[in-house]
Amino acid sequence: MTFDERDLISRSRSGEIEAFDLLVRLHQDRIYNLAYRITGNREDASDAAQDAFVRAYQALPRYREDAAFSTWLHRIATNAALDLVRRRPASTHGELHPEVPAGDNLEAVVDRREITRRVHAALGHLTVEYRTAVVLRDLQGLAYGEIARILQVPLGTVRSRLARGREAMRAQLTDLVSAEG
Amino acid sequence: MTHEEARARLSALLDGALPDREAVQVEAHLEGCSSCREELAQLRTTVTLLQEVEPMKAPEGFSAEVRRRIERLAQATQHSPWTRLRAALSWRSWSWRTVTAAAAVVMVGVFAVNLLREAGVPGGATRVRMPELALDVSKVGEGARTLAQAVPPSAGPGEPVSMRRVIRTGQMAIEVERFDAAASRLFAIAEGAGGFVADSSFSDEDGVPRGTFVLRVPAARFSEVVAQVEKLGTVKRRQISGQDVTEEFIDLEARVRNLARQEARLLALMDRATKIPDLLAIEGEVARVRGEIERLTGRLRFLANKVDLATVQAEVSQKPKKSEGALWDFKQTLERVRTAFLNTVRQMLGAAESLVALAAALLPVALLGALAWWLLRRGFRRADRIP
Repeated sequence: MTFDERDLISRSRSGEIEAFDLLVRLHQDRIYNLAYRITGNREDASDAAQDAFVRAYQALPRYREDAAFSTWLHRIATNAALDLVRRRPASTHGELHPEVPAGDNLEAVVDRREITRRVHAALGHLTVEYRTAVVLRDLQGLAYGEIARILQVPLGTVRSRLARGREAMRAQLTDLVSAEG
Repeated sequence: MTHEEARARLSALLDGALPDREAVQVEAHLEGCSSCREELAQLRTTVTLLQEVEPMKAPEGFSAEVRRRIERLAQATQHSPWTRLRAALSWRSWSWRTVTAAAAVVMVGVFAVNLLREAGVPGGATRVRMPELALDVSKVGEGARTLAQAVPPSAGPGEPVSMRRVIRTGQMAIEVERFDAAASRLFAIAEGAGGFVADSSFSDEDGVPRGTFVLRVPAARFSEVVAQVEKLGTVKRRQISGQDVTEEFIDLEARVRNLARQEARLLALMDRATKIPDLLAIEGEVARVRGEIERLTGRLRFLANKVDLATVQAEVSQKPKKSEGALWDFKQTLERVRTAFLNTVRQMLGAAESLVALAAALLPVALLGALAWWLLRRGFRRADRIP
């Protein structure tokens, strides 16, 4: 199945919900991942990602095609997720930083699942700003320019937030880093 | 570049996101700084770890839930009158073809109306009539009264209008189909109103008969007569005036009363006079007073006549005969088309001018509205700004 995204967008604009449904299915995993990594729990992630798509549907008439649709979605979703995080500052990143079981052996730690678990946990220790920068760059794979547009900050700010965020991640993951390195 | 500065740039260096000049400087620092080399290596490993994170799947039924929320939202807004109004006014819903077609229909309509007017089809005559000429009988009377009241009032404002003495004069130029018929109608009108034709003149130059008729009719029926006269044909010119002579009237009557009293006293004196010179002197004075009384009452009678009988002066001319015989007067048709065309253009320019004026008038309101709208929207839009 191949879809012409532009075609889907213009059909969604004219109110064809089927077309928008397809757009949601195409992007839902990436957007859900983004929301999960910023909010730190499944419930908030699901809410934020849904919010993002609903907002995107409403804002679709204002979407100009000078930015990639996925970047545009990322911006809306980032804002939606940050809204949730700021509204519920008390919500802990419970799922994000489970205690590392004592006496873990290295083979298990290097397992990809374990890396995922540890990274998610480490993200929970970062401030929202640093976490968002790291998530957008290293987990979602966006370019500096795109991140600057999504966060509405200058490139220099993206660079410095990312540097600090990565440094904090390195500190959180020291054991893994030395094991890998 | 210091050690700290270089260290802070390692992350960006890793992504090749440093400006060339800075990148060269950081590389140079790395040559001689083993701790920075170690840091860079660890950062690289960290990034590799991050990139290894397993992507997750959106939960089951995610897209269905999004769809349900959108549909519920659409239902909520679909029925609000505000949304419907916005949809109706939205430019998107008006195709260019519709707008162009509507404009074309309007223009053809305006042109057709102008053409019909030029061709003299019903409506042609009314176009020539000036708006105020279409006034009805009562309005004409009111007009005269208003004029009369414009004259400085001598009596108090409470005095009823009926006590006012106004000389009413109407002058009009009328173009009629047939002069003879109009002339006899004028006589009939004057007599029917209890008046008469005081003066009439007639000429027939270039085969176009014309004449002037002065009608004197009771003041009370002035408006009625004016209306009847105007029905004879097309009014080309018209002037209605009212001269308020109330003050002069009151003044004259007072003076006549005074003189009459003076005359009575003189006559009484004359009865008692014994000497001839006295008698002669008194008699001379009586004659002077009497003469003055006569003069003033004459003026009063003249005014009363003018007030009682209004004057309607009608200049009647026969409409020039259209060239007959020819089956079709091409020049005339061309002229009509030209005039209709110019009228349409003129009206369009007028409309455009009005539109510009309207826009200018509405600009401050629109700006305020836009500001309010923007402020209102800003609150909602915060979260989903478009990159």
